Amino acid sequence: MTKLDKTVARETVYICVWELILSVLMQAIYLAVGLWSNKVLFGNLISAYFAVFNFLLMGMTVQNALKMEEKDARHAMRFSQSARMLMLFLAAGTGVYFCDPIASVLPLFFPRIAVGFRPFIGKKNASLNEEEQKSDNN
Amino acid sequence: MELAIGIILGCCALGAGMAMIAGIGPGIGEGNAVASACEAIGRQPESQGNVTTTMLMGCAIAETTGLYALVIAILLIFLAPGRFVNILVETMNNIK
Repeated sequence: MTKLDKTVARETVYICVWELILSVLMQAIYLAVGLWSNKVLFGNLISAYFAVFNFLLMGMTVQNALKMEEKDARHAMRFSQSARMLMLFLAAGTGVYFCDPIASVLPLFFPRIAVGFRPFIGKKNASLNEEEQKSDNN
Repeated sequence: MELAIGIILGCCALGAGMAMIAGIGPGIGEGNAVASACEAIGRQPESQGNVTTTMLMGCAIAETTGLYALVIAILLIFLAPGRFVNILVETMNNIK
């Protein structure tokens, strides 16, 4: 098994933190509205876990694809995307069927929100990237 | 009544399948992005960190389109048939 790249690990942690923050926010809103139940919690947990896992798998595929030839990289990415879609379909389908539908579907979009907030935190990470590259080059 | 339920189930399955056509696009787009990134890193190996970060974020955004389709398909398969059949049964009861 290949070692996880620093960049991929850092971005996955970033997505994981945002997923956690937004999940807590969603649970709080459910509580405030009075619709909270165990089903909401379990649906959220399943979807949040698979959303982060999906991002991690995507990162690992990207990391491996960058070492391949162009054509192989393209095929690897397509195959990975199809497989991850199937995984998300099964996970979210389980959540929608057995738990709360909205709480099971919304966490899948939290990584997108996290990416949307990325430019505001981007400057710090860009400088970190440069430092890492300098240390790698040295 | 059975025919109507069959049509509802068939249309839901058909709609879910059609929705998932949108899932093809992100795969192709991500593949092209990664292929271009390979080329870029081949030209400038020192920029690998920046290229990887940017591409990861780009792939996450591209994948959202596929997720929209996925959610529509999930709702059409797991939720919609039950709701539609309930509506049909209530309507039939009201008519009687």
